[in-house]
Amino acid sequence: MTEPRLLQNFSGGRAIVVTDRASSLEVLTTTLDRLGVTTSPADIVGSIAAIDLATLQPDRCVVFIDGDISDGTVLPLSAIGRLPPAPVIGLLGVSAPSRLKALMRAGASSFLRKPVHGAAVYPALFVGINEYRRHRHLETLLEDQERRRRSRRDVVKAIVRMMSEYGIDDDEAYELLRRRSMRTRQTMEELCKDLTQSSNGQEHGDFVLRRKLAD
Amino acid sequence: MLNGALLAADEINASALGIHFEPSIVNPGGDLSQYSALATKMLERDVRHVVGCYTSSSRKEVIPLFEKHDALLWYPSHYEGFESSTNVIYTGAAPNQHVLPLVEYLLAHHGHRAYCVGSNYIWAWENNRILRESVTARRGSVLAERYFAVGETDFHQAIEAIIEARPSFVFLTLIGTSAYQFFREFRTACRARGIDQAREIPVASCSLSEPELQAIGEGAVDGHLSSSVYFCSIESAANLQFLNAYRSRFPQGPTASADAEASYNAVWLLAKAAAAAETDDPRAVKAKLVQQEPLDAPQGAVWIDEQTFHAYLTPRIGRSNRNAKFDLVCEAREPVRPDPYLVHSSSRFEAAAAPSLRLVS
Repeated sequence: MTEPRLLQNFSGGRAIVVTDRASSLEVLTTTLDRLGVTTSPADIVGSIAAIDLATLQPDRCVVFIDGDISDGTVLPLSAIGRLPPAPVIGLLGVSAPSRLKALMRAGASSFLRKPVHGAAVYPALFVGINEYRRHRHLETLLEDQERRRRSRRDVVKAIVRMMSEYGIDDDEAYELLRRRSMRTRQTMEELCKDLTQSSNGQEHGDFVLRRKLAD
Repeated sequence: MLNGALLAADEINASALGIHFEPSIVNPGGDLSQYSALATKMLERDVRHVVGCYTSSSRKEVIPLFEKHDALLWYPSHYEGFESSTNVIYTGAAPNQHVLPLVEYLLAHHGHRAYCVGSNYIWAWENNRILRESVTARRGSVLAERYFAVGETDFHQAIEAIIEARPSFVFLTLIGTSAYQFFREFRTACRARGIDQAREIPVASCSLSEPELQAIGEGAVDGHLSSSVYFCSIESAANLQFLNAYRSRFPQGPTASADAEASYNAVWLLAKAAAAAETDDPRAVKAKLVQQEPLDAPQGAVWIDEQTFHAYLTPRIGRSNRNAKFDLVCEAREPVRPDPYLVHSSSRFEAAAAPSLRLVS
C-alpha cells in the first residue's frame, strides 16, 4: 500500500471552527478564503457537540478547535485514541500542558497560535491535513496487519494439511498456496481460510496439486 | 527598480494629483543582514510606505518589521507565491502569471522534456516544483534538476550533461552573473558541436529582462525565451510615454525592464490610493487601493485584487533578439487574476515521482 500523496491545494475545502469567541476569527477566515477554504457562518459553532458529524467529509473538511473555550471542555470528536472523522487543528491561546493535552485528545494534528497570523495558516493546514492523512493511512495498514495476524492460524493449518495430504515439505506447500492465491486473486489468508473452513478442502487441495503438476 | 519608482514619483509630484513624494533611498547592497537594520531605521523615522526588495529572502527579512510598525511594503518583484502578508502589496507577477504561462508555451511549442538549471535557493526550488507539477500533469518529464551556489560561474560539466541529454528546452532559474555566464557558455558549447541552440535546445526563464540581455553580451543574446508581464517592446501609447520619460530621466541607463515597470506601477497605485484616502495611513490606503479604477500602466490595465492584494497583470512570452530586446511571441488576451497559492491553477496533490535527492554542485 503506497503512502498517500501530499495534499497541497486546499481549494474546495470547508472549515468548521469551534469557538465561543467568533469575533476574533477575521484573520483566520479571510486567509482560509484566499486558500479556497470556505467558512460559512453556520460552520462557526460554540462546542464540539454542535458539529453535525454526519456531514464531515475527511477529504474536504477541517475542524479548528479553540483551546480556550470558556467552559474548558474540549471533547474528542470521536472515541479517545481513535482518529477523528476529519483533520483537527488546535487554536492555541494558553499553551499550558492541560490545554495542549485537551487539544491532542481532541485529535489535533497541528496548531495555530492566537492571535492568528495570516502567514501561519497555510503551513498549519499543510501539516495538519497531511499528518491526518498519513495517520489514516497508517491506521488502514495496521488494521490490515491485524487481520493478517488473526488469520495466521488458518495459514498454518492449510500448510499442515497440504503437507500431510500430498507428502510435500512446508516450503513446497507454502509455494502451492501462494500461487493459488495469486491465480484466484485472493490474499493468502482468505484462500487458507476457505480451504480450512470448507468441507471440500480436499478438492481445493487436489485442484492446486493438479495445476502444480500441469505447470 | 529604483529608477521606475523615482520616475513615477517625479511624474506624480508634477501632476495635479495632490500627492507629493519625498523619496528616501537606502541601499542594503544585497546584504541580507542590512535589510532589517535599514528598514527599522526607515520605519522608526515614520516612513509608512516602502517600495522595494528584490529577492524573496530579503522580503521575508523585513515583513515582520512592517507588521510590527503597521506600514506597507510595496513589493514590485515577480516571485514564487505562497504568501499574502497583510502588510505587503504585491505588484509583480505571481506564479500563475509567469511560470504557468511559460510552461504552457514550452510544452505546446518545444516539447515535453525539461531540463532544470537553477541557483540553489527558494526562487529556483519553488519554480522548479511548479514546473515539475505542470509538466508531469501533461505527461512530460523533467530529465534533471541541477542547482548551483548563487554566483557560481563554472557550468562546464552541467552543459556537457545537458547536451548529452538533449532536452526539449532548458528551464533556467539561475540569477545574476551565473545566468549570464551560463547563456554564453551554453551557446559556445552548442555552436562547437554544430547545434543551433536557440532552435534545438532553447533556454527559458522567468527572470530574464532587457538589462540582463545586455549583460549577456553579443553572440549569445538572441533566441532566449522569457516569461514576463512587461517587455519594452509592448506597443501601446502608455508604454511609449513611459519609455520616453524613462530614457530622458535616466539617459545613462540601465534600460527599462519589468522590474522598473512594476515599481513604477507600485508608486502610481500608492499615489492614487493615497489621494483617494486623503491620508498616508496604510490601512486607509489599502482600503482605497482596491476600489481604484484600473491603472493605465505601460503593460496595460493593472489593478489590485482585493482578496490577495496581488495585481491583475497580463502575462506575455518574449524571445530575445540580437538587439537585446524581446519580440513578443505570445500574450494573454486580458489581465489575469493573481493566484499566489495556485488555488485555481494547480492539482490538489503534489506531483508523483519528485526526486528525494537534489543535486547541488
